Amino acid sequence: MTVRNRGALAALAAGVAALTVATLVACGSQPAEDVGADEAANLATATPTPSASAAGGQSVPVTAGELPAGAEIVPPVRLVIPAIDVTATVNAVGINKRTNEFEVPPSVDEIGWYRYGPGLETTAGSIVIAGHVDSAQQGKGAFFRLRELDQGDTLTATGGDGKARKYRVVAREEYAKTKIPLDRYFARDGKPRLTLITCGGPFDAKARKYRDNIVVTAVPA
Amino acid sequence: MQLSYFRRVAAGGAVAALAFAGVGAFTATPAYAATSKVSVVHGIPDTPVDVYVNGKKTLDNFKPGDVAGPLNLEEGDYDIALTKPGEPIGSAILKVDNAAVPGGANISIAAHLDAAGQPKITPFVNDVSKVDAGKARLIVRHTAAAPEVDVRAGGTPVFKNLTNPNEAKGDVDAGNVKADVVLAGTDTVAIGPADLNLKEGTATIVYAIGSAEGKTLDVVAQTITGLHSAPGGVPSGDGGQAGTGVNTWWYVLTGAGVLLLLGGGVRMATARTGRK
Repeated sequence: MTVRNRGALAALAAGVAALTVATLVACGSQPAEDVGADEAANLATATPTPSASAAGGQSVPVTAGELPAGAEIVPPVRLVIPAIDVTATVNAVGINKRTNEFEVPPSVDEIGWYRYGPGLETTAGSIVIAGHVDSAQQGKGAFFRLRELDQGDTLTATGGDGKARKYRVVAREEYAKTKIPLDRYFARDGKPRLTLITCGGPFDAKARKYRDNIVVTAVPA
Repeated sequence: MQLSYFRRVAAGGAVAALAFAGVGAFTATPAYAATSKVSVVHGIPDTPVDVYVNGKKTLDNFKPGDVAGPLNLEEGDYDIALTKPGEPIGSAILKVDNAAVPGGANISIAAHLDAAGQPKITPFVNDVSKVDAGKARLIVRHTAAAPEVDVRAGGTPVFKNLTNPNEAKGDVDAGNVKADVVLAGTDTVAIGPADLNLKEGTATIVYAIGSAEGKTLDVVAQTITGLHSAPGGVPSGDGGQAGTGVNTWWYVLTGAGVLLLLGGGVRMATARTGRK
């Protein structure tokens, strides 16, 4: 065997070793797999509304054309998730006008309920609560351990009416922010459900952004 | 022989590295809408009616100020007739033959007074395009026996010089607004003021109805829901403490591994060729 050949073999061996280590590291640093993705998708399937048809001879719904009044919406004010040690104040939040994004409360200890969507009283659609996973200035946020939640974990949301409502986790998913089906999570139809959102996945230290969103879906228990 | 084997290994390593970056995509397919949604708005004061569509009684004793529907109607031409309650279709007080209903639209048919006070039927196509997150759509339709008007929100004219039978519309911040209708260019209030609750992701359609002369000016409102959009994103972390996945050094290591394999393979191949 020539010297040249030995060198080539060594290079090959080193290459294999490097790739093996890289593969092991990549496997080890994968986030916990998504659970319940199908269940979450099924919840979003719109409930069919009975349609009035002139030909079918069904009665046509008639309403008094009164100006719309403010609907009775029950905002969540407190969220407790024992499995990950969360007890957080919930603020009603909307849209950041500059970015058109969800206005997550600036304090990382507090979480935000999307006030344009359904409240706890809803019989349809997704109640959305989002919170910080962490912040550069304030450290760990209320939803730091959200990705540890698993199917069957319970949580309790207390409404502005003082009534506590229990929910059961059915799904935990991770999506790249560029791919997340937000329309589904901000839907106002489909089965009533509670959707918790935070950031996760690889962190881009230059842009100071996480690549992914962690989404936990829970249903009334 | 050996070369092709090692090439395969190298290629396999590269594929494995790419696969870890793969993320499943979710695509939604909109359902195809063949029919149109049609609502009927009654804006003729003091005149309850029966409504016939293609000769068939569809609404019984339909009262002024009420909104009926939406009905799902297939694309096509429809005959619409209004009679006094209980009277036969032959003695209709108002009739429109071959009203064209396009496919996949959302339409409101208003029975109302024209500017001169005569009953008429006007179809409006409703703008049911999505509104931005946080917004609501306000549509105002002049369907009253009244002159040109301005519509004010919080005292400021938002829609000017609106005439019968036309509409004005805009997407505004969701929430409450105090609105009134004044004679165009004046502060003479014709209708209102009224508190409007403009719910996010909906279209609120307000019809000015009745007659200025008969002192029956009023409003009828129709709401269309489901026009909401999701926020652009949910930014919820900039600390990096919860970061998962691989760092830059991982890419360096993988790149080096691939290069070593290729380099080694090529050297070995050239060495063998050289010996021949």
